[in-house]
Amino acid sequence: MLKNIVKFMVGCGAGFLASAALADQPAPGHVPRQKQQAQQAPVIDARSPPANRWWTPGEGTPLPPVIAYPNSFGQVGVLNDAGVIDTQDHPFFEPIGENGRACVSCHQPANAMSLSVEMIRQRWHETQGKDPIFAPIDGMNCPDLPPGDPKSHSLLLERGLFRIFLPWPPKAADGSSIDPEFTIEVVRDPTGCNLHPQYGLKSANPMVSVYRRPRVAANTKYFTHQGFGVFSFIGKNGLPATRDPETGLPSGMNILSDARQPTLKTQAVEAAVTHLQFNGKLDEERLTKIVSFESQVYTAQVSHTGAGSLMESDTPPGFGVLNLAKGREGLLGNNVTNFVFPMSEAWRNPAPSPDPEITRRNEMRASIARGHDVFMFRTFWIKDAMHLNTVGLGNPTKRTCSTCHGMHMMGMDIVNGWMDLGTTNLPWAREEPLNPWNERKPQMPLFKITCKANVPPHPFLGRVFYTQDPGRGLISGKCNDVGAIVMQQFRGLAARAPYFSNGSAGSLRELVDFYDRRFNIGYTDREREDLINFLSAL
Amino acid sequence: MRQVVTFAMLSWAASAMAAEPPATHRNFVACPIVRDTSTVPCWLAEYEGETYFLTIQTDVSAPVNPPWLGHKVLVEGTVSDEPRICGGIVLKPVALSVMQELDGSCNTMLPAEERYNLPFEPPRPPGPSKGRLAFGDPVTKPKSQEVAASKSFELRYEFDSLVMFRHAQPLQQIFEHARQSKATKVQITGYRAATLLSNGQLMQEDKEIGRRRAEQVADLLRGAGLTELRYDVKWQDETKRAKGVEDAARRRVQVVVSR
Ligand code: HEC
Ligand code: HEC
Repeated sequence: MLKNIVKFMVGCGAGFLASAALADQPAPGHVPRQKQQAQQAPVIDARSPPANRWWTPGEGTPLPPVIAYPNSFGQVGVLNDAGVIDTQDHPFFEPIGENGRACVSCHQPANAMSLSVEMIRQRWHETQGKDPIFAPIDGMNCPDLPPGDPKSHSLLLERGLFRIFLPWPPKAADGSSIDPEFTIEVVRDPTGCNLHPQYGLKSANPMVSVYRRPRVAANTKYFTHQGFGVFSFIGKNGLPATRDPETGLPSGMNILSDARQPTLKTQAVEAAVTHLQFNGKLDEERLTKIVSFESQVYTAQVSHTGAGSLMESDTPPGFGVLNLAKGREGLLGNNVTNFVFPMSEAWRNPAPSPDPEITRRNEMRASIARGHDVFMFRTFWIKDAMHLNTVGLGNPTKRTCSTCHGMHMMGMDIVNGWMDLGTTNLPWAREEPLNPWNERKPQMPLFKITCKANVPPHPFLGRVFYTQDPGRGLISGKCNDVGAIVMQQFRGLAARAPYFSNGSAGSLRELVDFYDRRFNIGYTDREREDLINFLSAL
Repeated sequence: MRQVVTFAMLSWAASAMAAEPPATHRNFVACPIVRDTSTVPCWLAEYEGETYFLTIQTDVSAPVNPPWLGHKVLVEGTVSDEPRICGGIVLKPVALSVMQELDGSCNTMLPAEERYNLPFEPPRPPGPSKGRLAFGDPVTKPKSQEVAASKSFELRYEFDSLVMFRHAQPLQQIFEHARQSKATKVQITGYRAATLLSNGQLMQEDKEIGRRRAEQVADLLRGAGLTELRYDVKWQDETKRAKGVEDAARRRVQVVVSR
């Protein structure tokens, strides 16, 4: 019944598509290929029983205007600018696909509209692995592994990673194949999916599988802004920006870790096909409802163990979900007029108090304020980072965290945000040390990239190099985009470990330590502590 | 590795030895050197036992962008009579082209020393800016002005290279002009050039670069949505015009947009 309705609605929406031949496909570009694989993968019997802090698809409970959930640094809050959200029959909250999942399955309010690995493990125990988040299509290392065996879901259970499958060679927005600048070979395939006869690179529907963290589906006005730096040509390489298929306007290209979808709407079409195994294109009505929900929901830490509430009138303007909802989008914050996360004098230099509890609170606030200054002002040599050192700053450049993370209130890049920080490309990516003392085996796939002879080599890695996830390169086919990942926002970090697109930093400390090693920063213990406190309060 | 590099160098230094550029010019290929200061780092290069100052680190809007360690740089500069900066003779104006092949031997980083600190306040500190870019927004929407029926634009390139971050702004201007003027045709000419080095050798760009530059610009304009225009795409070889003076200006694409 549902299926029939969908078919009918797709028929109506077909007018949008340039080519009538695509009318039965969810969208042009890479999604038809993804649909082919998603419809091929098995669907198993799954249940999502209600539990504390967990939003079950279809539970129908109203989502209040403000709601807070505990985490190890305090509480994260979710604010609905539109007031109470009726989640009954709401396409973000209903299991509209074939596998029992809803968008909310992986974008949970308690996890800052993302999904922590802690929550994933808890669900595994509560449901004996039956929750739909463990669906074979992308909740397993590869869809045909035995369900219910933790080994089949090891990347999800250990690092919070879902399988993202993308056609190779890449597809342009009009569905034509892009001739890539590099070849890709599978040198390690611990999940079995990249060499799989049905799901892999050599299958009839050639796909690369990479493994990525969910991202925050909130605070969207900031990362879909049309302000500073959004033009028809990408400010980092001069190539044409992708465009909104409906308005023709250029996209800021900050959605998903590879910017493969230009708008929230096209992203939702893909998410329904891949994550929900929805067989078709979501109709306009449901797409509008999803996008308007995402456009009014905000999330940030609302109270901090130590520093207290972040919902007060004297909370620094860069903190707390109320300030976030009020903030201005499309602003460059890497300057001393806007700031990325504006701090307050009262936190930096609190009035002395006879009350020891207030004194302790003030000490934490001062540490957060110092951490803010480390983020904004502490310089180090940023070296060999593609799309940062190559955009006019020189290599190396003596700069700060906020150089790359300059978007006001978000800490993303204000222009298209993909850069190669080294999270997925060797030599910096986290790899298992191979020696007799380490019993763990490598978990991530490894690809050998060879840039073709008719293009320049990768500026910092040369013509041949290795990666766990080619990132933007899987979409653009550009050699110098391999391993470039669109940075995600800094809000609600405390609620959604692990970090980086491949979950390689298990905690904020590991994240800061990665930078310390990567850029040879040499933080003092106090700087490190302050920086972690700052990040945990966002 | 070394051998590969030598071979590459021979292939750009064509056999023809031309006259030398004027004594006030320094055109050479060398490893860049970065020196830290109490503010922003400065960039230097050595040629025939002398140190030259190339530029300082500022931001994306700078007219001259610092080179990259890990790569050699082609320096095309005029010796100025300004006092030395960071110990180097100031080349001004100067054009810098990062050489595409990797060169691990270009790795010199020098520490800050009191005597080499900058004698002026840099337009942009190493941390956050004061609220504006040092030289203005690199990609600004052109102000709407009287739209001419035909307008010419020029894109300049680094040696052997295609479009990069710096071209987003001029491409945007071409794009907006074509839209506003309701243009019907665009004429694109890509040029291949050469540089006369101070040692008398002629360093020529890749044989195909003129064509590739022209075709790329056409592709990019189409890709951004200018699909209705009539494209006239040509290329030209100007390697013979190299004189060691302003050779960098000939590495270009000329775009004429008309109704
Ligand atoms: C199985 C888990 C899962 C489900 C279900 C899911 N997502 Fe996601 N979501 C992800 C992952 C993983 C990413 C990151 C993918 C990437 O970077 O390539 C993501 C990214 C996003 C983003 C991008 C946010 C950013 O900052 O870039 C949005 C928006 C989003 N999802 C919305 C949705 C919507 C709408 C639905 C329902 C139609 C949905 N998601 C269902 C896992 C899921
Ligand atoms: C060269 C540019 C660059 C610099 C400098 C930089 N970052 Fe990042 N950062 C990135 C990129 C790119 C990502 C996304 C990488 C990924 O997800 O794989 C990222 C991601 C992050 C995240 C997001 C984690 C998540 O999963 O949500 C945090 C937090 C972060 N960086 C903090 C910092 C801090 C603190 C500093 C200063 C020590 C810093 N960054 C310096 C480029 C940079």
